[in-house]
Amino acid sequence: MNAETLEAEPTVEAPVADDGVISDLYNDPFPIYRRLRETAPVHWVPAIGRYLVVGFSAIHTIDHDPETFTANEEGSLMIRAMGHSMLRKDDPEHAEERKALGSVLKPKAIKTVWNEVFQCNYERYLKDFIAEAEPDTVDGQKVLRADFHTGFAEPYAAENLREIIGFKNATWQDIRRWSQDMINATGNYADDPEIWDLGKKAFDEVDDAIDEVIPSLDENTLLAHMISAGMPIHSVRANIKMTIGGGFNEPRDAMGTTLWALLERPDQLAQVRQTGAKGWERAFDESVRWVAPIGMYSRQTTKETVLEGIRLPAGAKLGVNVGAANRDPAQFENPEEFDINREQKPHLGFGAGTHYCAGAWVARAQVARVGLPQIDAQLPGLARDPEREPRAGGWVFRGMLSVPVTWQCN
Amino acid sequence: MPRITYHQPQGSQQTIELDEPAPLMQTALRNGVPGIVGECGGQAMCATCHVYVREDYLDQLPEKSEDEEEMLEEVASPFDERRSRLGCQITIGEDLEEIEVDVPESQV
Repeated sequence: MNAETLEAEPTVEAPVADDGVISDLYNDPFPIYRRLRETAPVHWVPAIGRYLVVGFSAIHTIDHDPETFTANEEGSLMIRAMGHSMLRKDDPEHAEERKALGSVLKPKAIKTVWNEVFQCNYERYLKDFIAEAEPDTVDGQKVLRADFHTGFAEPYAAENLREIIGFKNATWQDIRRWSQDMINATGNYADDPEIWDLGKKAFDEVDDAIDEVIPSLDENTLLAHMISAGMPIHSVRANIKMTIGGGFNEPRDAMGTTLWALLERPDQLAQVRQTGAKGWERAFDESVRWVAPIGMYSRQTTKETVLEGIRLPAGAKLGVNVGAANRDPAQFENPEEFDINREQKPHLGFGAGTHYCAGAWVARAQVARVGLPQIDAQLPGLARDPEREPRAGGWVFRGMLSVPVTWQCN
Repeated sequence: MPRITYHQPQGSQQTIELDEPAPLMQTALRNGVPGIVGECGGQAMCATCHVYVREDYLDQLPEKSEDEEEMLEEVASPFDERRSRLGCQITIGEDLEEIEVDVPESQV
């Protein structure tokens, strides 16, 4: 396009973000997102060869217009790392596979099957968490100290997912390793061969585990539903890998972020305790807005288009940055604050449109109905460890890396 | 011409005429009708396109599917056994030419 036609059109080219942007995102992406959002809702980022979309209404448009913004991205690293799952397909192909999940992840199955599983896992991993905690004295008070993230959130979320999928031939540690290694491969923009090797190993192990368990599946599991719905085996494999990637980190991270946010804000924690179930759900949902566990996903334009006044060429790869959009002041007042009392508005933490998170109900149940309220009630004086710093990291996927807590000994 | 009237909790209303058959949720989104979210794009997955159908139209509605029944148990505003429906599950312009609904206070 030459300068003349550019002037003639009411659209502009996307501003170019400097290369420093990407390397700085890991530790704390939010100040960078704010800076980007203040300039434009869409930026071209040469370092990752993508347009980064950071504005709420731009992403809303993308999510509800799959004909212009396809999920079936060319050269997708996710497809290479996990196979071609429904997350990288558009309707009607996507809808058909999504339908094969049946009712496994929905409210009725949660009530009749999964809540009991979550409760059982809660009790089991809480016991381990307490047993492995370190006794100490803080301000003359005997306490136990432990890392909530690695000590509880991780085994609890991995074990829940293991049972939902139906991997009775694997351990929660397998789920954790598979998930991490395949996610690392999905984000392997630097083309590191070691990351590809580990990813491939996880890929093969998951396939083997699926083959091994298929003859003896329990009827309520995700695998059983996919098989009985007649989903082709290569799709089963890809969709299970996507589920391992998307069904473990996210509840784990939402749980850590919610707890950390509340322990830092005693007024809101007190309010949540008073409100009970609804309060915990509110806190969970606000934490998914505040720090979206899946911070970015990809889309690609199918034709030249204009998004919020910015020209996008045909075939443009987009990084749909819901982590940034969820803090867009055009949608949320005081967006940088964690505030359970904010005006309730939809956010993009679970995505929107046809790819809306299939696991949202399961996550809410295990985190906000079973896990957090009980752990808060059962560990007296649960508080941030005053001597250890909590840590968070990531931007494509973001969550707590460590949530050091203490509670009083009985 | 098929049409949908959305009544807001504060009393205002908006009538949309349809060129072709379309679900109540998608029509609301396309026309910027407030109070209908439709987070999941119409898969009866998210319970954020809840509406109360007005009395005059109740006997013309299609039966609720199991999926819709399940989601209606999760809606954010009070559930009305007779009038509560999901907007993504009701298409106007096929069997039903006209409908009026009340938009609830909250979807999330």
